[in-house]
Amino acid sequence: MGADPVAEMTGDRPVGVAIVDDHPVVVEGVRAWLATEPRLTVLSTGDDPDAVLRAAPDADVVLLDLRLHGRMVLDKLAELSATGRRVVVYSEHTDPETMLAALDAGAVAFLAKHEGREHCVATVLAAASDRPYVPPALAGAIVGDPRPDRPMLSDKEREALLLWFQSMSKASVARRMRISEHTVKQYVDRARIKYTRAGRPAATKAALLARAIEDGLVRPEEIGIYRSQATHDRPTP
Amino acid sequence: MSADLGASTDRTAAPGASARAPEPQPGRASVPAPRGSAPTAALAAPAAVAHASDRGARIASVAIALAWHVAIGLPAVLGARAEFAAPAVVLGGWLLVAVAGVVAGVRLLRGAPLPPWPLAGLLLAVDAAVFAAAGERQLFAAANWVWSTLGWFFVLAMWGRRVTGLVALLTTHALIALVAVLGHGHDPADLARYAMYVYGTFSLPVAVFVGSTTIVGLARERAAAAATMHAIAAERDAAEQGLRERRDRLVLVGAAAGRVLGELAAGRADPDDPEVQRRCVLAAARLRRLIAESDDVPDPLLHELRAAADLAERNGLPIDLVTIGDPPPLPVEIRRRLADPLTGILADARGWARLTVVSGPDEVVVSLVTPDREAPEATGPPPGEHDDGPVQHLYERDGDIRWAQTRWRR
Repeated sequence: MGADPVAEMTGDRPVGVAIVDDHPVVVEGVRAWLATEPRLTVLSTGDDPDAVLRAAPDADVVLLDLRLHGRMVLDKLAELSATGRRVVVYSEHTDPETMLAALDAGAVAFLAKHEGREHCVATVLAAASDRPYVPPALAGAIVGDPRPDRPMLSDKEREALLLWFQSMSKASVARRMRISEHTVKQYVDRARIKYTRAGRPAATKAALLARAIEDGLVRPEEIGIYRSQATHDRPTP
Repeated sequence: MSADLGASTDRTAAPGASARAPEPQPGRASVPAPRGSAPTAALAAPAAVAHASDRGARIASVAIALAWHVAIGLPAVLGARAEFAAPAVVLGGWLLVAVAGVVAGVRLLRGAPLPPWPLAGLLLAVDAAVFAAAGERQLFAAANWVWSTLGWFFVLAMWGRRVTGLVALLTTHALIALVAVLGHGHDPADLARYAMYVYGTFSLPVAVFVGSTTIVGLARERAAAAATMHAIAAERDAAEQGLRERRDRLVLVGAAAGRVLGELAAGRADPDDPEVQRRCVLAAARLRRLIAESDDVPDPLLHELRAAADLAERNGLPIDLVTIGDPPPLPVEIRRRLADPLTGILADARGWARLTVVSGPDEVVVSLVTPDREAPEATGPPPGEHDDGPVQHLYERDGDIRWAQTRWRR
């Protein structure tokens, strides 16, 4: 991995972001958050995903409010993800079912609207390089996934997700698990990568997975690429 | 400023304050009860009603069968015993059916009926033997007791099953009788009598059998409908109460947020003032909780934790309570061990707090994270891990945060 994984992806130009939200005040707020990070630039904003992307066809990352004009746009999310758009969903709907449904539909990441600037910037930067970022709310949804066909997580991955969800501090999780922060992040990210195998296939999921394998985060056989999903992705007991 | 917000909030909250104390209040605690018990009640009530109706019909059927056998059958058999072709067989058959009938009746009333088909086989064997042993003269007489009595014992044997079983037995009974009648000649008068007898033996037992089944079915349906109505009513009451509570909270929370925003807009409050910032954080946390939390699935553990969070919030602490999954039903002792250590620490928390609950069918993990303070640990538990029965407690301070966790595993 290079010194700056994002620069590695986009060359020297900053990451282009498109923001889709039907509340102008939220758009302005997010824009202000992203403006604090020189590696990010907002290319286009608006309340209609198609119009926003027509205005900025080269956007690297789309920040999508999951609820537009009173309707959940999971179908639009799936459509964009299928065409390879890196969509970071951000929403005030933080019930676990919605978050997992967004991942299944191909969202690169899910961000709760209250999770704040640092998580938002980190999520968008990670998404631009097809790398996972799991904010605490999403960690909670994954660790509590009750679906019988959920991906199989190791005990360490579950524990790291749980503690990250509880404490929102990787340093504290690291102290508690007596491992390095880097290892905490690896456990959390590996759990997230396993979710690229859940739900319908999407170009974004394939990209996340490919990058994770390239980075050495997971080995192909760990997530059942060469074998049937049924034999591998059994839930942890 | 903080006193102002806390005090004004408390004043507004006063009417509902008692409902938010950390101890489970009878008024609030009763909310989950109707919904929690509704499914059980909805299943149990119709079954109980159906059972009661069925029991009445069983007693009636057993009484009819045995009374008929003894009061009508026995005198006729005894009176004509010299005229049978084989008196011993007719009497022995009567006795055998009497014994089998008593056993079957008692078992039926106790809810443990005899296996139907062996009993039916025995009855049909007696049927054939008695028809053969009665002789031509007694064929249509009352002394040939199997004609009239046996149908009622068929009813006992087939109780609780489909009517086709009973009809099959009665048909076999009619065929045995037909063989016996034809065996004694082809007198048209006998055939007419036979037809009449068959009609008599079919109609009453089938009517009683079908009637009782129908009544039990209707009773069960009516009871189920009533139970469903009750469950819906209880659910509606709970939902309405939940809605009222949320509306009250919205008024309360909205007022506090509105005051800060109003002061900011009017320029009376300075956004750089840490106290104003703290009030904003608190108002935002309250609004967030209002949006995120609901009592849609009332659970006693979550209810207790919410009450504790409400109390901390009213004392001016911005708090997030995030729950993932529904806790399984837990004994009160386990719930106490999960919640109490955390609510104690929460009462002492300053700055902010994050309370999380992750539940699965076999595990519930509750965690409280608050900023670590320099203050000596007067009220905190000893750091480290220890087990309190099936619940594991963990408490630690790492300079950044205080982290308390309770974990129950099945």
